[in-house]
Amino acid sequence: MVRLDKRAADAIVWLLLLTAPFWMQWIGGYTELGSRVLVMALAAMSVNFLLGFTGVLSFGHAAYFGLGAYGCAMTIKYLVPSTPLGMVIGIIVGTAGAAIIGALIVHLRGIYFAMVTIAFGQVFYFITFRWNDVTGGDDGLTDWSRMPLDFGFAKLDILHNAEAFYYVILFFFAVALALMALLLRSPFGRTLLAIRENERRARFLGIPVDRHIWLSFVISCAFASLAGTLYALLNNFVDPRALRWDLSGTFVIMAVLGGMRSFWGPLVGAVIFVVLQDYVSSETENWESFIGLFFVLIVLFFPRGVLGMIRRKAAP
Amino acid sequence: MSLLQVESVTKEFGSLVAVNNVSFTVALGELRAVIGPNGAGKTTFFNLITGFLRPTSGRILFDGDDITGLLPARRVWRGIARTFQITEVFPELSVHENLRIAAEVAAGYRLRPWLSRAADSEVRARVAELLGMGGLTEKADRLVGEMSHGDQRATEIMMALALKPRLLLLDEPTAGMGDQETYDITRLIRKLHTNQRLAIILIEHDMRVVFHLADRISVLDQGALLAEGTPDEIAANAAVQTAYLGSAA
Amino acid sequence: MTQLILFNVFNGLIVGAFYALMALGLSLILNLSGVINFAHGGFLAIGGYIAYVLIPFIGFWGALLVAPFLTAFIGLIVERVLIRRLYGRDPLYSLLLTFGLAYIIEDGTRFIWGAQSMPYQVPDWLMQPLSVEYFFLTGYRVFMVLLVGVAVAGLFLILTRTRLGMRIRAGTLDLETVSVLGVNVRLLRNLNFGLGIYLAGLAGVLAAGMLGLQPVIGTSLIMPSFVTIIVGGLGSLPGTLLGGLLIGVASGVTTVFFPSATEAVIYVMMGLVLLVRPRGLLGEEGRF
Repeated sequence: MVRLDKRAADAIVWLLLLTAPFWMQWIGGYTELGSRVLVMALAAMSVNFLLGFTGVLSFGHAAYFGLGAYGCAMTIKYLVPSTPLGMVIGIIVGTAGAAIIGALIVHLRGIYFAMVTIAFGQVFYFITFRWNDVTGGDDGLTDWSRMPLDFGFAKLDILHNAEAFYYVILFFFAVALALMALLLRSPFGRTLLAIRENERRARFLGIPVDRHIWLSFVISCAFASLAGTLYALLNNFVDPRALRWDLSGTFVIMAVLGGMRSFWGPLVGAVIFVVLQDYVSSETENWESFIGLFFVLIVLFFPRGVLGMIRRKAAP
Repeated sequence: MSLLQVESVTKEFGSLVAVNNVSFTVALGELRAVIGPNGAGKTTFFNLITGFLRPTSGRILFDGDDITGLLPARRVWRGIARTFQITEVFPELSVHENLRIAAEVAAGYRLRPWLSRAADSEVRARVAELLGMGGLTEKADRLVGEMSHGDQRATEIMMALALKPRLLLLDEPTAGMGDQETYDITRLIRKLHTNQRLAIILIEHDMRVVFHLADRISVLDQGALLAEGTPDEIAANAAVQTAYLGSAA
Repeated sequence: MTQLILFNVFNGLIVGAFYALMALGLSLILNLSGVINFAHGGFLAIGGYIAYVLIPFIGFWGALLVAPFLTAFIGLIVERVLIRRLYGRDPLYSLLLTFGLAYIIEDGTRFIWGAQSMPYQVPDWLMQPLSVEYFFLTGYRVFMVLLVGVAVAGLFLILTRTRLGMRIRAGTLDLETVSVLGVNVRLLRNLNFGLGIYLAGLAGVLAAGMLGLQPVIGTSLIMPSFVTIIVGGLGSLPGTLLGGLLIGVASGVTTVFFPSATEAVIYVMMGLVLLVRPRGLLGEEGRF
């Protein structure tokens, strides 16, 4: 009975995602908003791979998100005006950064780990800020845009066709999710759960905990950098804000809001957060206070998140 | 043939001597009980054997090899498994999942992103076997954190067994248990010892369990080895009785 | 050239002393309660703004004296109402909560006072350089270093000579034992938090005089505090002090040779420390 429910739920989610550009307009949305939700959801899910499934408090994911974004944008602007190449390079840059930094911090735990991840996030922020001539500094990297995709037999103008780009994003979203699900259900994925549940016991089963945490960190940041490349492409723009601590916090709150222990949690969280942010920022200049208040309220009253609460109610 | 040889091992924490020049040998397939009053250094002793702590001086040999400097995970791969005084399991996962993780790691699959059909059935068969041995088959899908103390402990023991150890260290397996649970766990340990041909070192306070199971008994008091011998010899030992005055369960 | 280096080293020391002041407050709270107060920068800003509001009434010195206490008072309330609920829980939640608070404070100050830099009136005589040759030694800068010195000495005295201080130190090592000995842990945490916020408020008043007052002053200063703690060593207050001075001077010296790397150098130091001595220069083993 439970299994049927889960498959049905998955099917419904995918159906909604596939048809989004069509029904979104009826409820006052627009395709680009849907694209943004997907990108944020992917970032939140990548954070959750580490946070919800491995139990590691990583708070600096915006760094790798941003590296992906800048890597992609700079490739298109300065190297080759090719979307796929931009994405590949963006992901490589983000993942490489994570591999190096991960190695430095992997033996730390808990809040200290969190502190260091935040601090490293800021390094990249400063670099993009200062390296004006190359990155555009505070004004961001402009005068570039996503290039049409040339499949040989057909060309897809993703720049002017918002729906087409939505489906491209959805494609990558689906691929990333499939990979994540595969990993989490594998023996490797189970060692991550073990580490989350009881690190000492995992160690005493013979699991090299630090190594596995590093792997989880790198994988998680690779997905975050993918999200970053899509983010840059979506906006045809990238600025240092894509690397700031507040974006990292946003990814985490989306995962928490939706429910950290469930796979779809971050998507639910992203939907709620992005829509809310969109609405509030158009109503008032002080939307940041509301976002801050939102964080506080969720922590105090809603820590298990939407799906966490539903699960509670459904359990015998 | 000795499996484990602890040679003059001492562990100091600053000025506190937790383990004092203890020498200790366990033979293949032996069931040894380690007893002693609270604070005698028994758990510290286990921590030294499993690599959680490094000795201040002395050596530890396992199957002839010097393992004194090895990290815990490596000792597990060599064949030493343990349970803890406070049960250490994966609380929000089911019994099946707990055992599955242990079995997969033991089979060398810990980095695999994917398992072939054959490997998967192999692991499942192993988990089923462990569930059966531990009497946990009907409870396989329950979350370990929600089970009774005795069942949690049984799960922990079976997880340790999944690692195919040659030496199993059990730290107060019947702690906090009532008579029935104590009886069940004792039976389980006896069964495992006979069927699996493992060496077991058991820290226990419950003397009924100790005398029922042990081939030999070592007594620790204030970090030092006070006496060692068969159950009868220990029961008759006056020094042991003094150290233990009033603390027999 | 020597003048330039001296200038920057001295500047670096001031900045470093300042980072240390802020990081000490953060460290106190972190060590005892295990909470990363991401809103620490926000409290710094509050300290500055309260002083700004008070100056017309009680003058520069009055504001300097009173503002940190008022900020600490707000801190006590925040701890009591919000942070206290999070102690038993996963540290994730206190980080998220203080994140949210940081947002609220930054936006709130922007709402009330606007985003531009507010001029902060420092008495003229303080702004005079002490000598023509060492023009960079303005009275205010020396005053700042002296004040930080006094604050640190005061903190040291509180921690070693008062009952509260000793309980904080004992609690940092073993909170459970301390509570078993009959100490009111709730009150202890509350007061400790207040003490930490006092230091943030004080830093805020000083920063206002040196950097001018704007809403982002808090969040721009919190990162160096993190780095200070990581470099100086987790769990060690002397380490935090040392860390602050070190990164301040490092940044100061870097400005001479590689001006664009001034902010980045503190992170490079952090990376080096993590590589070579992960627990920090004076950090305690096993704190993480």
